[in-house]
Amino acid sequence: MKDPCSSVSKLLEKYFDQEVTNKERSLVESHLRDCLTCQDELRSMEKLRDWVKAPIEEAAQEEEFPWVWQKIEREIRLQKRLTWWQSLRLWLDVSPLFKKKVWIPAVATAVVLLFITAQSIFKKTPSYPSPSVVEYVESQTYNVMIYESEKAKVTVIWLFEGPEQEAPIS
Amino acid sequence: MRRIDSIFALVLVLLLLSTSAVFAEVQTRVRIIEASNLGSSIDPSLRDIHDQLGNLFNFTSYRLLRDLNLNLVGNRPVEILVHKGRSVEVTLFGQYLKTVELRIKIRQDGMDVLNTQVRLAHGRTVLIGGPKHGEGVIILAVSGQF
Repeated sequence: MKDPCSSVSKLLEKYFDQEVTNKERSLVESHLRDCLTCQDELRSMEKLRDWVKAPIEEAAQEEEFPWVWQKIEREIRLQKRLTWWQSLRLWLDVSPLFKKKVWIPAVATAVVLLFITAQSIFKKTPSYPSPSVVEYVESQTYNVMIYESEKAKVTVIWLFEGPEQEAPIS
Repeated sequence: MRRIDSIFALVLVLLLLSTSAVFAEVQTRVRIIEASNLGSSIDPSLRDIHDQLGNLFNFTSYRLLRDLNLNLVGNRPVEILVHKGRSVEVTLFGQYLKTVELRIKIRQDGMDVLNTQVRLAHGRTVLIGGPKHGEGVIILAVSGQF
């Protein structure tokens, strides 16, 4: 015949932790009424729990918890702050858009576009309001005369072979 | 490492392409005219500048020797042979929204007899004249068409 203590003792720990089903609870409780050994075992479990619980509760009561939270906040504040460059690096490392294979061609394209745009802006902006001007003229053989006519929309550069020659301009 | 090298090569090529793309092709008309007082004929091809020539000079005859439409590209000189030993070199060296900058050189027997830089607007003409040619003189009419 099966020893009832051995079958209940397996449930006793679960009963102590209040993890048994209703059926198991009634079984354990009906056995405990008659079995002194199991009652002793349950009592020793309760003693052990009290023995462990008491110092923890005592320490918790002694500790002032508002101060604990303040300490945590102070520790967070004291943590070394990241520089903007470190934060950027961290963000770039995290973001898949900024992996090398993406950002290197992107930066290269941006540089090229910037270069083209800058050239176009600086080169093609009409910085000269006047229509036509002789910027520079040099001749070692001829004397040079420059005539500009706004009405006729023409600029004349006339070369003379010598000082005695008369200009054919009317 | 190889990938980085290829990217740098690509960037370099794009940069080179971009610098050459800055200068668009500019069409410039160059007419070489012989002006004299022999006769009173005016070449029909000079109709558009006939009034300008008549108002500016005391010549009675204008004969078109050459009429050239040059497609100028930035900093690439174009040389035109005018007459024996005489040539004209035109170079585009600046380009703006409504004007272009041209460097014009007249050479005679390999020597520069005129070196000038002009800023030319659309619809305007620069006349360079004076060197003797036959009984008259040579006039170079440079017009921008852009």
